[in-house]
Amino acid sequence: MFLKNIDLTTALRPSYLPDEDLLFVQDNVGLYEGKYKLPNHQNGQVYLTSHRICYVDKAEPRRHSVAIDLKDVERYEFYAGFLKSSAKITLIPKASKRSSLQSRSPGLGSIPSRSGNGTPITSSQRTDSPYRAPSVEQPSASTATWVCTICSFSNPVPSNFDPSTATAHTPLPPCLACGIKPTLAHVLKATISNATSRQPGGGGSGQPALYTPLPIRPRPLSELSAAQVNTTPPPQAVSDNSTPRPSSDPDASFECPRCTFLNHPSLLSCEICGAPLISHDLPSQLTQSSSSQSGRRTEADSPGPFLNPSLSSISSQGVDSNTAAENVKLSFRGGGDKIFYERLKGSMTQRKWLLHGAPPIPKSSPRSDDSLPTATGTMGNDPSLPAGGGDRTNRRAGIAGLEHRNKTMRRNNELVIGSAFEDLEALMASAKEIVALAENFARQVKTGSGPGGNENAALLAESASQLGLIATKDIVGNSSSGGGDSLYLSELARTLAEFLSDDARGVLKRAGGIMSLVDLWAVFNRARGGVELVSPADFEKAANLWEKLGLPVRLRTFKSGVKVVQGSDRTDEHTVKALLGWLRDLHEIPPDLEGTERAVTWDWRMFGRGVTARDAAERFGWSIGVAEEELEMAEEKGVLCREESIEGLTFWENFIDTGEGKRYKKETESERITRALKESGFL
Amino acid sequence: MLSSAQQQHQQPFSFPREYFFPPFFTRQTNLTTHHAQLVKWSALVLAYCRHHRIFKLFLSYSGAVAPIYSSSTTPSKTPTDQQDPSEPGELFNNRKINRRLSLADIREVIDFLRKDGRAEYIYKSNGTTTTNMDTTAAPPPDGGGDVVWIFWRTPEEWAAVIEAWVEETGQRGSVLTLYELTQGEATRGTEFHGLDSDLLQKALATVVKRGKAQIFGQEDSQGVKFF
Repeated sequence: MFLKNIDLTTALRPSYLPDEDLLFVQDNVGLYEGKYKLPNHQNGQVYLTSHRICYVDKAEPRRHSVAIDLKDVERYEFYAGFLKSSAKITLIPKASKRSSLQSRSPGLGSIPSRSGNGTPITSSQRTDSPYRAPSVEQPSASTATWVCTICSFSNPVPSNFDPSTATAHTPLPPCLACGIKPTLAHVLKATISNATSRQPGGGGSGQPALYTPLPIRPRPLSELSAAQVNTTPPPQAVSDNSTPRPSSDPDASFECPRCTFLNHPSLLSCEICGAPLISHDLPSQLTQSSSSQSGRRTEADSPGPFLNPSLSSISSQGVDSNTAAENVKLSFRGGGDKIFYERLKGSMTQRKWLLHGAPPIPKSSPRSDDSLPTATGTMGNDPSLPAGGGDRTNRRAGIAGLEHRNKTMRRNNELVIGSAFEDLEALMASAKEIVALAENFARQVKTGSGPGGNENAALLAESASQLGLIATKDIVGNSSSGGGDSLYLSELARTLAEFLSDDARGVLKRAGGIMSLVDLWAVFNRARGGVELVSPADFEKAANLWEKLGLPVRLRTFKSGVKVVQGSDRTDEHTVKALLGWLRDLHEIPPDLEGTERAVTWDWRMFGRGVTARDAAERFGWSIGVAEEELEMAEEKGVLCREESIEGLTFWENFIDTGEGKRYKKETESERITRALKESGFL
Repeated sequence: MLSSAQQQHQQPFSFPREYFFPPFFTRQTNLTTHHAQLVKWSALVLAYCRHHRIFKLFLSYSGAVAPIYSSSTTPSKTPTDQQDPSEPGELFNNRKINRRLSLADIREVIDFLRKDGRAEYIYKSNGTTTTNMDTTAAPPPDGGGDVVWIFWRTPEEWAAVIEAWVEETGQRGSVLTLYELTQGEATRGTEFHGLDSDLLQKALATVVKRGKAQIFGQEDSQGVKFF
């Protein structure tokens, strides 16, 4: 299914994949499938992550929460809303998804071919509009180019260059005209801007059909990965939207995607500008399958709108009910649509999901350091070659060798970090590497020093994992319901709840299941690694929301006004029971009055012994303040009683109130009556 | 010669369990527990005073409490106190577990007893009740409000006991001296033998009020006649 059910965390938020980053949250969003509202999916929060769009229903989050994988999204369109209809974002699934979805009428699987009216995949279409195709294709089919900063010659981006995996060590070819190597950031920017400049054109322009990207990619992922390995037509791999543009018609001239020169069809690269002319011959298998699909499609589909204007116009006008059923629309009733759209655009461009399966970061050999600053990349720099050279320089014996290796490694790290921060795009590209580095540092710290180091390491690792996983104010959209902060606060509350209930982190467990709000605030902000700190006021407000949101933690206010955080399953009764059990155990153990010369004077077998807040704190792992409050709570419940002596305040099992206290209420009542009678003069 | 009080005196008072419970000597903050604590303490005070036939409690400065016997008429009893050194102050001061009840808390217990009509402060300014106080053993000079009647039997109850005895022995209508009532050979073995004279006065006053008796005579040689 295009819409997948998802797992929610304890805090009723989608549980993220390993590398998934939260980008945006917006509440009060409804889902449409085609024209129709999806029942039970009309009010919820939408989480945009780097991999998915998750919808979490407000009323029944466990049952009605769904997600859409961004990798399954073919296109997305923006509708700004008109009068009473709210702004919407339409997500159109990829062909393979759709065909697999529509089992009852497989012919529908060919929708892409219809949408790709300009793409001469099927013979019928080709004959329909042989001349139209090039003009349509022109902006989208062009491969990414980078303009040399020295001679301003526009070079093609190498075929195996993937912006999402490229690092400083990726070999880059020099400029074809002047032979100067480009910087990685430069090429990255070129690729990304190339990809982005094409995408919004599809939805937003006045003539959508003409600029719609035409991604005919029945096996999008496999093909892409294949392209990375293969040396097939280079530009294909660069951007997934660049479409193979077959023109098997021998008479048709082939228009250069870059300079629009009409080349002879048999040419493989443009005569004028040298841009590769791609997709000359499609695999016959593909051509066949699509043509057979289109044949069936004409039966299943209404023949009228064969040359459809565009998908967007179909879905919005509802001409084609089949496609309408395919689309998923997000209706932003509470605003936030624009930011969502921007972020969606960004994440679709970055395609982080590819990173997930990406090969590990290449181990930088010490030798490559020299070539690093000026982005590597002559032919001789092929990563496979220098292995021997690196080994050679590395082959130093003994401590000197180790030292040297450390030194080079440090230098290498320095360079990686330096280049990462050069440019934001570049940083995004090397994010994975940076994270790996951070983890590496953490490991070093851990092995390097003793117990103190461990804490630091944990902190560091924590901060690495925290990068981007936490709701910040700019991630969260404006709330619909009044005060603009309420969505932020509820997100913060959820984040906190997750933070607390995360077993791996075990914040609460370490604190004995209860910790003061102030402590939590400190821990939480420290875990954020010094960025996006939460103000105490927001923090408290968020904590107050826990109960309302039904989260598994609760805020408790003690008599003294101290606020503590606790799992919601931990009630006072639990605590009291634990305390009592402990005190009963003390009947068996002789009290240890270390240091004091006084003997145990009371009958400890009968009474046990008094415990101080410090004892309780030690026993249960609470902080002293919390222990004090818990003991007083138990005293308040009449389970414990206090003793003030020179050693301070201690608490004992309550042997004083053995039933006498129960009459207290009754007596006070009768007392009150007699007093009232006396005052009124009857007695 | 041993009075009945002294006979009772010989077997030690068995303190309740709470007396050895350290927190029992700390004022509890929980209202319910505190109430239970007061109930237990007042029961303990009454039982202790009954056991030792203490009619007046002396709340000392330090919180230690010396029981005061009705020794104005029998000064020979004071030495018996001194024979048992553990006894004075024993009630509110548990030497065994090294805990004592503070004076403020003792007063709270006394106040609790007063609400029940089981205690009453003896004020020095009140000449009628403290006439003999000066002669009692070792009261500190500023003992005002420091001495308390502990009514483990209220004056009315005492009066009833005496009345019953008079009835039983057929002495209705005859005049009995107060000394004869509390110290005489005839009353040996009765509960009110050795009763504090002030308390006896209080008790007899209630009977007089009811018109069932009459008190004659001077201060130190008073007599009473039951009708």
